[in-house]
Amino acid sequence: MSKYLDHSILEIHELLKSKQITPLTLVKEAFERIEEEASLNAFITLNKEAAIKEAKALENMEVDNVLFGIPIAVKDNITTKGLRTTCASKMLEQFVPVYDATVVEKLHDCHMIIIGKTNMDEFAMGSTSETSYFKAPHNPWDTERIAGGSSGGSAAAVAARLVPFALGSDTGGSIRQPSSYTGIVGMKPTYGRISRYGLIAFASSLDQIGPMSRNVYENALLLNILVGQDRHDLTSVAKDPEDFTRLLDNDVRGMKVAIPNYFVSDIVSDEIKEKIDEVVKFLKSQGVIVDYVDLPYLDKAVTLYQIIAMGEASSNLARFDGIRYGYAVEDPKDLEDLYCRSRQEGFGDEVKRRIMVGSYLLSGENAKVYYTKAQQIRDDICKSFEQCFKDYDLVIGPTTTTVAYHLNEGMDDPLKSFLDDVLVIPVNMAGLPGMNLPVGFSKEHMPIGLHIIGNYFEEAKMYQLARFLEKNLALDLNPKEGGK
Amino acid sequence: MEEKLSKEEVLHVAHLARIKVSDEEIEKYRIQLKELLNEVDKINEVVGYDEEMMITPIKDEALLHSDEVEDQISFEEVRSNIPHTSGSFIEVPKVVQHE
Repeated sequence: MSKYLDHSILEIHELLKSKQITPLTLVKEAFERIEEEASLNAFITLNKEAAIKEAKALENMEVDNVLFGIPIAVKDNITTKGLRTTCASKMLEQFVPVYDATVVEKLHDCHMIIIGKTNMDEFAMGSTSETSYFKAPHNPWDTERIAGGSSGGSAAAVAARLVPFALGSDTGGSIRQPSSYTGIVGMKPTYGRISRYGLIAFASSLDQIGPMSRNVYENALLLNILVGQDRHDLTSVAKDPEDFTRLLDNDVRGMKVAIPNYFVSDIVSDEIKEKIDEVVKFLKSQGVIVDYVDLPYLDKAVTLYQIIAMGEASSNLARFDGIRYGYAVEDPKDLEDLYCRSRQEGFGDEVKRRIMVGSYLLSGENAKVYYTKAQQIRDDICKSFEQCFKDYDLVIGPTTTTVAYHLNEGMDDPLKSFLDDVLVIPVNMAGLPGMNLPVGFSKEHMPIGLHIIGNYFEEAKMYQLARFLEKNLALDLNPKEGGK
Repeated sequence: MEEKLSKEEVLHVAHLARIKVSDEEIEKYRIQLKELLNEVDKINEVVGYDEEMMITPIKDEALLHSDEVEDQISFEEVRSNIPHTSGSFIEVPKVVQHE
């Protein structure tokens, strides 16, 4: 088997440009790797026939951009025209979208090749990808462990080097947490950076699509092409085009970084705290100013998230009624029976629990007691971050409280999935950008991630610090030989 | 003793969510939903917050466009995903009942 996909994107680009390889070489290699690692269960649907056809069609075209002909995986809650999109749910097991998400159009525009749709928690609800109707993906570092979630399939696919890139989505940490568990770079950009058109909605005020990759530079390359205002998503924001790689080689001396005390409190395991401490010491030795600060309400972010995310989910998932698309029971006795039984049989347990609680939280006077109050406190979280960013360039901490744990450990505990994301949820509350950078390994050789949070629209600055650390740490992040 | 919702309370939230629940599921949800509701009740511990409400994380001006009919996805395209159709109609159980 060829090994071109182990090369950097720039090296692959040169090989394509000089016609030493073709996009078909890469596509075939990706499918061979996926087949070899089928037990990871990273994909729900493969796009083999169309991907090969597309690769062949690219052979006679000019290699006009650095992502031309590069294989990519797409999370299965992002619509792809003509390619099944299930949200890892029985509800959408047979669903074939009739339009492409805006991000998918952007991938096509620069001739990236979609290899398949990745496994995830059902409707992105979960933190381990174990709520998938298609069984959980496994962590390439230790296949007995979870890959995290909800973008667990995307994370496993990139970490195992099946594809160089994947798209994920992040409502309460779903890009950053699995990236941390699998040792890859995952970016949740500022809310509004990337169009959500075609992202099957979970919690609309929190959801954001983002790039997942093997390293910082390539992550920034992919973000370059994903951003932009879209008339199909009225929450997308107009910004001048920018190159997110532009600060990568800049020095970080004099940069001011804050660590909220809550992010290194007792909720975090000792070995992760030690690793973060090492990073802090190194940054200080390089002239970065690092201070510990108090940010109010961080410890309440999970509660707010539960209210807002479950409330919005109950309303978004009301569309699955067994009428226009999705699973429907046969021979319903009336309309109510069609709704209720289709939803009973089509949704899994985690999704049903969240819809039920969400419906309750939004019903009658409860909306004021819970949802309105949550949005008020959410505003305070935003303000405290805004205040912090007046004095600091970036906020950092660990991405997760533990390393990836064993499969089935948290099943049937309705709270576990929220608590895994305690450190990443505040970022979605505020709509800020957040990313994971692998910074080391536990004693059991499982990846540990650093969480870097930026001010609104300052992703380039986050990449700057991330690249500086990546360069100096020089970790081997290939699960086959790495872990050191 | 483990805190539980009553059977009626579970049936009430299941009705709000339009999800049918079996007797076995009711027993499970009595405990699990109570656990979740206890969690969200922690919001009552928060005092002294500012009452300004967040509507959207976007600080920029909202994007607006004119309300014009554009090219739409055809019924033929959409049809393939519809569970029950009859000719060019979506088929649903009878809504109007005869006396």
